[in-house]
Amino acid sequence: MLSTTWRSVARAAIGVAAALWLSPAFAHAVCGDRIFPATLGIDDPGVGDELALPTLTSQPQGSDGTREFDATFSWTKTILPGLGLSFSDGGSWLRPGGYGWQALDTELKYNFMCLAQHEFMASASFDVSWGRTGTAAQYSPFNTYSPILDVGKGFGDLPASLNILRPLAITAEISEAIPGQSWIDGLQNPTTLNWGFTLQYSLPYYNSHIGQIDNDFLRRLVPVTEFAFSTPIANVPSGSQITTGTIQPGVIYEGDTWQLAVEALIPINSASGRNIGAVAELHFFLDDIFPDSLGKPISKWGQP
Amino acid sequence: MNRRSIVRIAAALAFAFAAPAAFAHAQLEKAMPPVGGAVTSPAEIRLKFSEGVEPRFSGIALTAEGAAAVPLGQPSVDPADKSVLIVKVGKTLPPGLYTVTWHAVSVDTHHTQGDFQFTVKP
Repeated sequence: MLSTTWRSVARAAIGVAAALWLSPAFAHAVCGDRIFPATLGIDDPGVGDELALPTLTSQPQGSDGTREFDATFSWTKTILPGLGLSFSDGGSWLRPGGYGWQALDTELKYNFMCLAQHEFMASASFDVSWGRTGTAAQYSPFNTYSPILDVGKGFGDLPASLNILRPLAITAEISEAIPGQSWIDGLQNPTTLNWGFTLQYSLPYYNSHIGQIDNDFLRRLVPVTEFAFSTPIANVPSGSQITTGTIQPGVIYEGDTWQLAVEALIPINSASGRNIGAVAELHFFLDDIFPDSLGKPISKWGQP
Repeated sequence: MNRRSIVRIAAALAFAFAAPAAFAHAQLEKAMPPVGGAVTSPAEIRLKFSEGVEPRFSGIALTAEGAAAVPLGQPSVDPADKSVLIVKVGKTLPPGLYTVTWHAVSVDTHHTQGDFQFTVKP
């Protein structure tokens, strides 16, 4: 039989173990009541262990008649709670132009703000597209550097009289893509401002806050429209200072540990493309699938 | 896409789907009283989540419009379904609008929270 002292020690140890085991895990883009889904045109404002595999894109036909199909992946590993490193790559098929492997893209992202009561989240990141890692038409001899800011705001803090608007959320992203070399073979490499936003209406949020949705499929849908644009801002060849981009209406289905998103790609002008493209992505939340191994930060330092 | 790329992608997908212990954030799927619904005074509040929850680290609060919190019992889970969090309502509720505020810690420690309203009919 254990002595009273040992029993106390054992109880304390169990309590500490339970507290450690149940300390809140750092999640994907969750802030207060809001879960921001992963979006395709611009990034969500959260940091988490995630795998987007595959992302399949049939680009709108180019203004010069070029067709492009991309199959890519992106893996994010959290290093610390709120700090993650992403690796993205994939293949592109151009017609004409043939197959090429895209440049390796890495991104260090830090989620520096979550105002839970206002469902407001913000992250800053730094992205590098590594030169000489692509092949064929995707080859670039120089790196491209992009500081990025992502924000998200859910409208769950609206008064009850505006209940119908509370499932609404907006996310936005702005970044500057700076080429590592300004000129190549007498041609200018412009610096571009990449910017965009999403409008989302979360039926999961509606179901849990406003009114019950009995249909199991419907209550997992998030209708979304993304707006993704690119504007050359420096070192621009004359006549090329045109904003290009797409408007991307679509829908996201939220599973428990994954999501599936499908969106149309509608070019905003003739410089952005001729007809409608499409993009689809299967996205896994590794923090949910492997909470005790691959899906948790390498270090818990700084965990709230 | 070459054959090796296809095999790699298929292997990664199989790896992800074959994960033996998949848990997730506990999202509220159904509630009794229903979210936004109108009922007679309930004897208990039952919240059905998408995942099992830990009752020791989860909770439910109930407040009447413009009034103090309504006394509730200790939260527990349905012995037959660990994803259902239950609290007993300590008294008969007079007609009016009520707000349920909940927080849940799923079995893999992910934290979620939310609130909703229901009406008690005369």
